[in-house]
Amino acid sequence: MDELRKGFHHELDEIRAESAQLIEVVIDAIPRATRALLDGDLDSADKMIRADEVLNGRCLELEERCYRLLALQAPVASDLRQVIAIVKIVSEIERSGDLAVNICKAARRIYGHNLNSELQKVITEMGEQATQLFTAALEAFRESDAAKAAAIDDMDSYLDGLQRHFIRVILESHSAGNINVQVAIQLAVVARFLERIGDHAVNISERVRYFVTGWLPENLTNPRSTNSNDDTDGIPFFEE
Amino acid sequence: MSSSSASTITDVVLRARDLSVFYGDFCAVRDVSIEIPRGEITAFIGTSGCGKSTVLRCFNRMNDLIPNARVKGAVEYHDIDVYRSDADASEVRRRIGMVFQKANPFPKSIFDNVAYGPRVNGLHKKGDLEAIVEKSLRGAALWDEVKDRLDSSAMGLSGGQQQRLCIARSIAIEPDVLLMDEPCSALDPIATARIEDLMQEIKQEYTIVIVTHNMQQAGRVSDRTAFFTTEVNPDSDRRTGILVEYDTTQKLFSTPSDERTEAYITGRFG
Repeated sequence: MDELRKGFHHELDEIRAESAQLIEVVIDAIPRATRALLDGDLDSADKMIRADEVLNGRCLELEERCYRLLALQAPVASDLRQVIAIVKIVSEIERSGDLAVNICKAARRIYGHNLNSELQKVITEMGEQATQLFTAALEAFRESDAAKAAAIDDMDSYLDGLQRHFIRVILESHSAGNINVQVAIQLAVVARFLERIGDHAVNISERVRYFVTGWLPENLTNPRSTNSNDDTDGIPFFEE
Repeated sequence: MSSSSASTITDVVLRARDLSVFYGDFCAVRDVSIEIPRGEITAFIGTSGCGKSTVLRCFNRMNDLIPNARVKGAVEYHDIDVYRSDADASEVRRRIGMVFQKANPFPKSIFDNVAYGPRVNGLHKKGDLEAIVEKSLRGAALWDEVKDRLDSSAMGLSGGQQQRLCIARSIAIEPDVLLMDEPCSALDPIATARIEDLMQEIKQEYTIVIVTHNMQQAGRVSDRTAFFTTEVNPDSDRRTGILVEYDTTQKLFSTPSDERTEAYITGRFG
């Protein structure tokens, strides 16, 4: 196929490649953050907190490049959808990076407290599931695969289930006197951070579906919105 | 052809049914079916030779003026076949005006240019003519610029002003539809923006169909867009125009249904 506007399309390809690389940064950050939390590795946690500045800078730069293309090249059709999708995806990446940083900060706060094997297991499992969600979102993005992107929602339901389980384990550990209330609260927010990272992966996959097919998430039929009557998301409360 | 995907059109002003146009034995465009809605701006886009201007000219029978031109299929204006034997081509052109790529004012005064059509239609009272000229020049957003020199030659106006004068001349006979064949391609961006604003202002009164090579212009001004392309006849190596996709402009420029549309508007075409 002949091609016009080669410079523009080349820049679009570059922007896409950079987006994929930034998603990889998050895929790398999630297990490192959970590892730092479990191992009480404050050096690693500090490094990750500092590295987030670099991610934020790259996200801003990428966003800027998207705006430049919109302003100067007036993209249309799939080109337009791609630029719009990437602008949205960049903020999902940036936010996920922040959440990984928050996990590292939690690592500082629970430093010196031992976590029993059951807590370790569920944190590890949530971290792995969140990483898998991001990995699947990256594959769908790289391959422009709308079907793969649509499947990510189901994977997120599993992560949500893990979060509920995690909270239960936290409550039990607290009742049994294994962890104090400060640690329990820190772990509960870590559970929330990992669950949110999963949501960002789902958002990325929705943007993939949008740029491939033009599909837009419809708020009324989106299960993550229709569940919103239940503010607790089925998460058990402290019963003390 | 995915014209059926265009959102439903309830008030159809112009309709082509299986329209093909031949010049001698050469088929310039074939099997075009399209409905033009009232009060909207419809843009025709596509490569050179894709038949978009040819189809446009069928709507007011301008192709009659080309020797050997022949039309197959039907063109209907308010459900009346404009090519039926007893249809009056002049009457068709009175109701369906046309603005061309190159502004073509008559070598007369500004006033006489606009008054020309009404005079031909039998209007001669000075007061009536003055009222129509003012209304038309205001309608074409030109009044304030020329009101003090209506007797000057139209040839002294700038290109953009001349084009707006041609629009004023077209609307002076109160047509129903305005066909515009690349009306801005000879104008600078400011003159172009004036014409585009004007189109928005007058589209409630005059249904507009515009042929444009400028895709951004189609995106800016039109409510619906039709994309035409060419097919090569393998035997003769000649190209025939076809209508590929017709939809709301928003849909066509964000999520076109046909790969050929996508390829053309993104610049990835063969």
